[in-house]
Amino acid sequence: MSFKKFSSYVSEEENLVRAIFVSLLSSFIILAFFYFLILKNIIDFIPNYGFFLFFAILSYAFIIPSIKHIRIYGEFACMSGMIIGMTIGMISGFLGGFYVGSTNGMFWGSVFGMSVGMFFGISNGKCCGIMGIIEGVLAGFMGGLMGGMTALMLLNDNLKYMAVIVFFISVLTLSGLNYMIYKETREIKDKRRENDFFTIFWSVLLTTITVWFMVFGPRSVLFQ
Amino acid sequence: MKTGKIMFYIIGVIFLVSVSGYFMLGNSEVSKDDYNDESGEFQKVVIGMKGFNYYPNTITVKEGIPVRIYLDESVVGCLRSFTIPEFGVAKYLKTQEDYVEFTPNKKGTFKFACSMNMGTGTLIVE
Repeated sequence: MSFKKFSSYVSEEENLVRAIFVSLLSSFIILAFFYFLILKNIIDFIPNYGFFLFFAILSYAFIIPSIKHIRIYGEFACMSGMIIGMTIGMISGFLGGFYVGSTNGMFWGSVFGMSVGMFFGISNGKCCGIMGIIEGVLAGFMGGLMGGMTALMLLNDNLKYMAVIVFFISVLTLSGLNYMIYKETREIKDKRRENDFFTIFWSVLLTTITVWFMVFGPRSVLFQ
Repeated sequence: MKTGKIMFYIIGVIFLVSVSGYFMLGNSEVSKDDYNDESGEFQKVVIGMKGFNYYPNTITVKEGIPVRIYLDESVVGCLRSFTIPEFGVAKYLKTQEDYVEFTPNKKGTFKFACSMNMGTGTLIVE
């Protein structure tokens, strides 16, 4: 893609860039609120959880805008719906599972990743019927389980480097998905209007649940 | 006008990531309690790794006296997650200074292993 085409894509999808900004802003505001309220009293909060929490928030800032992007258009062809359900389910499940798995162990990381992945997989895949739903369930299930498992297996082997690598690969994949949506739907005139409530709500909710899970949530015996 | 808005959001994203990254990634060292050898009598055991297993993989300790098990620098991978299920021991020993401590309160032969059961050994309590 030439730079000119890319610039035209970005300017067409102004909302996408805005949603990333809004998601990051709301996540960091709620994190700062929790930090000054309670988290500053947790011993070694930043060294233990800061890195993984930072990347979890960055991940949500790319996943949620992509979901919002999908919601704006609403209906897709069956093939597109399947790839949408699979990508969102897999990425959200894997990243959630990986980051929580890094602090809470494989079981709880996988449970968290599968829950997030399957939920988003279903809610996005349903735009094209039962095939998309099944695809979303499978992707969320597999992504969540793999995320938690990968984190545990890398515990003593460059876990933090891998956290950065999986984040960038996921961002690249989501960028591809957004570009596909743009290409397939740019002719559609009646886009659904979406305000920032969706982005703020999910960013705050996911950040809150992740913080709670990492700091106060249940964890495997190795992480106690 | 539209380009200006987009630039604003992009700069905003970079700013937020930089500021939060500075605070959240800055201090990655966990503070440790000082290692103190004077905390009372204990049996010290240091285990290494040979042939993808713990070495020595049979250790003998006395009943009733606290045991501290350390893993030296040769132990890598999941073998650093050390468990003795019978005594409720399960800990990730990140460095050579980290240890597990427990008091063997019954005689017998028990199994120790890594969290994934890939490295195993025998603990004999006399």
